[in-house]
Amino acid sequence: MIFQTIITGLSIGSIYALMAVGYSLVFSVLNFSNFAHGAVITLGAYIAWALMVSVFKMSFFPALLLSMLGAGIIAFFVERIAYSTLRHRRAPSLFLMISAMGVAIALQNVLYATVGANLYALPPIFTQDTFSIGAATISRMDIFAFVFSVIAIALLTIVLNYTKVGTAIRAASYDSEMVSVLGVNLDVLVAVLFLLAGSLGGMAGVFMGIKYMVYPSMGWITNKAYIGAVIGGLGSLPGAIVGGILLGLLESLVSVTVIGSVHLSTFRDVFSFGILVLLLVFRPTGLFGRHVEEKL
Amino acid sequence: MLLRVEDLNVYYGEAVHALRNVSFEVQEGEILSIIGANGAGKSTLMWTLIGQLKPRSGKITFRGEVMKPVPHAVVSAGMALVPERRRLFPNLTVRENLMMGAYLRGDRGAVQKDLEYIFSLFPILKERLNQYAGTLSGGQQQMVATARGLMSRPKLLLMDEPSLGLAPILVNQIFETIQEISRQGTTILLVEQNAKKSLAIAHRAYVLEVGCIVRTGTGQELLNDPAVQAAYLGVSQHKEVILEGKEPC
Repeated sequence: MIFQTIITGLSIGSIYALMAVGYSLVFSVLNFSNFAHGAVITLGAYIAWALMVSVFKMSFFPALLLSMLGAGIIAFFVERIAYSTLRHRRAPSLFLMISAMGVAIALQNVLYATVGANLYALPPIFTQDTFSIGAATISRMDIFAFVFSVIAIALLTIVLNYTKVGTAIRAASYDSEMVSVLGVNLDVLVAVLFLLAGSLGGMAGVFMGIKYMVYPSMGWITNKAYIGAVIGGLGSLPGAIVGGILLGLLESLVSVTVIGSVHLSTFRDVFSFGILVLLLVFRPTGLFGRHVEEKL
Repeated sequence: MLLRVEDLNVYYGEAVHALRNVSFEVQEGEILSIIGANGAGKSTLMWTLIGQLKPRSGKITFRGEVMKPVPHAVVSAGMALVPERRRLFPNLTVRENLMMGAYLRGDRGAVQKDLEYIFSLFPILKERLNQYAGTLSGGQQQMVATARGLMSRPKLLLMDEPSLGLAPILVNQIFETIQEISRQGTTILLVEQNAKKSLAIAHRAYVLEVGCIVRTGTGQELLNDPAVQAAYLGVSQHKEVILEGKEPC
């Protein structure tokens, strides 16, 4: 039972991590919380639905890749339309955040107005989803989501650590003006940033669609991923990964806990947001967050 | 003429007129010093030249081409900035910091050769390559910043206050390095508060005062100029002499 819960927790936690990494990437360089990320993830799931169910009958892997690409491109256009002019005018990050919220509301309502409010299912990857180890029933989809999230995040880490543009992204997270003065075109760098964040978000969207359903407000789940990113320390990549997985694990453990006759699963979201509040009070920089440094 | 600046005017907002009709030239191969007190506009000038600050008016011509205020275009044209207070990336290793300086270059082999040139200037950096830049001492950080500027193989290296905050022995070293870089064929525009040392190594120099160029000459001429001595070199017997032009331009 506990084994099963841990697998479920790791699976949802790794999906949180996929989304949280997107928040952290953008935050690290541009210093604002990109609340349009949830809408991009939702659109990623809808692209998968169009590719696999409603328009084409694609198989899973090509549909996953195209959905990731599509979500990345959508994230890129969101940046071009909603953030780039603000960036060029050096607007305070609050303005960018408000613009992001506007984009989130707009995109969600475009979905309501066009595709409608229906819930759609994505076809399962495995015909027989569960298998048993002893008394535990394990979902193949959970294992699959965990493994692929880990691979995607590992690839991202390699890009950030061993490529030129990745090095520039890390440098820009410390001093983007200096990066620009060394000859890096910041617009291109930010475009790469949103492509990366968007495509990882698209992957998360497809997994959410398979695990649950595809519907216009499914992006709400990114609130949890955002909590994960804050737990780890906004702007820190390892922080987003650890925070996301930790939150997923804790949530699934809370969900199966029964105290007396009270099932704590009803209080799962109370628990998650409670953690957020406590953290912001006692350790606002998160587990891996940068300490606010006094710059000379 | 390597660089020609004509009637440059830079504002911060509406109220602060940071550079007023600044005009000067840099010739190929020279060390040109611009001296001036705090707030004279020296750093503003550097960040305008590299394209990060947009001038209200004026023209910057570099190697025969008019420069637009776009940093990556200016850098690929052949300018590089070693900024005041170094501005290294402390979360990157020394090697990564240096490679950031070579960001626009695709020629890996030549970049590797330039690393060798860097090590000939600063042998200590070879041992520090895989260390995080934030862990270095101030003197070593200045070396990395200078090296990072050189990694783009600039025709013109803009150096903003390289001696700031360094111990006297390191200050002497950095000025020697500047001369060595110059001998290797890189033209240098040096902006300094340490007027004495920077005039001593300069071929030519300008004095910048509240946004205006008020004096020009060879380094030696300005060193011997009583007004410059009084204002910038702390020569006490000339205290009564003040640079003309409280309303300089």
